[in-house]
Amino acid sequence: MDTLKEGDTLLRLKAAVHYTVGSLCQHIAADCEKQITKQTIAAIAETAFRQCDIFAKDLEAFARHAKRHTVTVDDVKLTARRTTALYNYIQKKSEELALNNQELKEKRKKNAAKRKSKDMEAEENEVED
Amino acid sequence: MANAGNEIAFKKETVAKLLTRSFKEDKTKVSSDAVVLVTEMLKVFVEEATRRAVKQASSEDCDTVDIEHFEKILPQLLLDF
Repeated sequence: MDTLKEGDTLLRLKAAVHYTVGSLCQHIAADCEKQITKQTIAAIAETAFRQCDIFAKDLEAFARHAKRHTVTVDDVKLTARRTTALYNYIQKKSEELALNNQELKEKRKKNAAKRKSKDMEAEENEVED
Repeated sequence: MANAGNEIAFKKETVAKLLTRSFKEDKTKVSSDAVVLVTEMLKVFVEEATRRAVKQASSEDCDTVDIEHFEKILPQLLLDF
């Protein structure tokens, strides 16, 4: 029973990857005024799928090396070390992410503070009545 | 790096599932920020693959990117990643 489910999940994942890869490929090919065959898209999708497996195994190894069970942003940056341009790009993206998280945190703090002061006002009004 | 269709991207849940099923240990998890970055890596990978294949096709004066163009650029692509 489990192997059926496992096979089904695998197919779904591959299909999802294939769909996104197809959209990306078509977009880029059109941009460059070229056609791209379905066979080529399928090959790129399969390669991306396998590359993801390689990423995962590397990431797990890096996390374990750092004596962690959770893969972090630093582990991902390490997998991008081979090409300088790629590394710099990922570095930039991780900084944007960190900034985003910071902004979200501050928004939540403000909202929490607003709610608190509203609650306190409501309480005071009740007391006055 | 190139920006192909800023709306087209891998879904976070898909990438997360892809990663976890390849982990050898059950205990290993991924932080959500890490998933976002891996999604970027994958997108760049696909973009590079496509653009290099397109360049190869252009250098051979072909209007259609065929699998042989992809095959020719594949070794260097894998080495670069």
